[in-house]
Amino acid sequence: MATVVSDAPLAHARDGRFGVAWLWRGRVIKRLGGGMFGLVLAVAGCGAIAPLTARGESSESKQLTELQQKLDQSLKLIEALTQRVKQLEAAQSASAPAAAGAAAPTDAQRIETVENRVMQIEATNAGRSGDTTGVPLHGFADIGIGNHTANEQQFQGANVGALDIFLNPQLGQHTRSLFELTFEVNEQGQVQSDLERAQIGYQFNDQATLWVGRFHTPFGYYNTAYHHGQQIAISLRRPRLILFEDQGGVMPSHTVGAWFTGSEHLTDGKVTYDLFAGNGQSISGGEIDPRSGGVDHGGAIYGGNLGYVFGETLNGLKIGVSAFRSKITDDQQFVNFIRVDNVAVYFNYDTDRFEYVGEYYRFSDTDLTPVGPLHRSSAGFLQLAWRLPFATTPYARYERAVLDQSDEYFALQNNGMSYYRAALGLRFDLDLKSALKFEVARTKNTDRNIQEWNDVLLNYAIRF
Amino acid sequence: MQPKFSVWFGLLVLLVVRSAAAADVLYVVCHEGVSLDAAEVRYVYLGEKQFANTIRLLPVDNVAAQVAFLERVLKVDATRYSGIWTKKWFRDGINPPPVKAGNAEALAYVKQTQGGCSYIGVDPGPGVTVIARY
Repeated sequence: MATVVSDAPLAHARDGRFGVAWLWRGRVIKRLGGGMFGLVLAVAGCGAIAPLTARGESSESKQLTELQQKLDQSLKLIEALTQRVKQLEAAQSASAPAAAGAAAPTDAQRIETVENRVMQIEATNAGRSGDTTGVPLHGFADIGIGNHTANEQQFQGANVGALDIFLNPQLGQHTRSLFELTFEVNEQGQVQSDLERAQIGYQFNDQATLWVGRFHTPFGYYNTAYHHGQQIAISLRRPRLILFEDQGGVMPSHTVGAWFTGSEHLTDGKVTYDLFAGNGQSISGGEIDPRSGGVDHGGAIYGGNLGYVFGETLNGLKIGVSAFRSKITDDQQFVNFIRVDNVAVYFNYDTDRFEYVGEYYRFSDTDLTPVGPLHRSSAGFLQLAWRLPFATTPYARYERAVLDQSDEYFALQNNGMSYYRAALGLRFDLDLKSALKFEVARTKNTDRNIQEWNDVLLNYAIRF
Repeated sequence: MQPKFSVWFGLLVLLVVRSAAAADVLYVVCHEGVSLDAAEVRYVYLGEKQFANTIRLLPVDNVAAQVAFLERVLKVDATRYSGIWTKKWFRDGINPPPVKAGNAEALAYVKQTQGGCSYIGVDPGPGVTVIARY
């Protein structure tokens, strides 16, 4: 409450007689400050002074003496009251922080409660999105157009490549799984499905995982690095010699059995290894059949792959060797057994600026019914790709296969002829999940059914 | 007046620089009990190390600090990182790290999840194991 001190005391002080009293009244009001209690005292003080103004001038000096005495008393009283007011104000100001202090813990508790709730919500959300619930659905698809289709030289125009559904549910601490279901259009224009990969694995540690099921046979580099979704690969199509079986490939790209794989980090690099064994493939209808349902003639395939991934020096380079032996049957009236021995060397140099990959395969096949001579064949490819600005990746690839046509293994396959292919292509990534690819290529079959043709192909590939 | 202004301006610049530097520190943190070498962080985020002793590691990316992490620790850009994981994912069946929206969410995940690891741009405080600072 603001204290109002009027100019009246100054005016009366100038008058002389009552100046002192008015001055004292003003001082009292000033000293009492803004408190209501002080105001009451001031009024009381004024009340005591006011009657004096009505007395006569004759008893002026006596009255002045009395007045001074009364003033002295009043001053003492005021002093005492002022002290009391100070005490009360001090007590009040002391009790205010105490009251605030009593309220503070309440607010702190409330804040802490809110914080805890926020943390709980965040923790719940964090746990919920930890990929421990549900199975994410992913896949690949591509559509092509060209003067031929990518893998069927006799067709042209637009074509549906493949719809590749990919599932890898996370099952626990050590169990892993991977399934790849593909829908493709066959030569008759019918959609057919194929369980390309069906793997269940136990991961012992970082160095070893055991898979069982149907998997990509770990020969060379390309066959396990890339799968049926074409978006993931730089090029528009796989090298012809390692096309998948139902696309005309001459290698046993899939094996049904067990696969032990892993890697070990060294000081500067990493060793990778694969050991596998499974059902021996058969040749049925001119194509290799992985025998996913089991074998009836007891053939088997087994082999391994050993690679080295460089560390800081030559970072991104992997070199390796692989080998497999397979006892392969056919669908002839009198079943033939063919022993296929294959060794390969390969490299892959994958950096931010380029990716080079090369593979060379050597076959040493033997007819077992009856035992015939050794047939030697070879095949390989080299692909160079450069990662340029604006998400463009031009590439060049050369493939060559020299396959012995007296070898039953190749002779019984529709596409088991020798050939070469030279291709130039350009990949343009529209975003992280879709790519446009363009390729021109010249292919020539160099034996059995000699012919030569050019391809101009466009492909739109996505993943999701 | 001019010297005073210079002093205050200098102090202000120092404060800003210091604040920026402090905010720039990147902490790689894991759930309590996870033992990792700083050199192994790279392998964890490239899918090549999935176990710390017997604990399965469950790394997550943190959008708020991912650019700095890729640049300083993995030394790859986002496109390359995505490409590496795409290959890993579809070849080996290993899921890429899930993505968290920010430091608080990443930190809460690490505290909550056994084997959880992430990287954050703020001092993580108690309750997690700090594997490395970058």
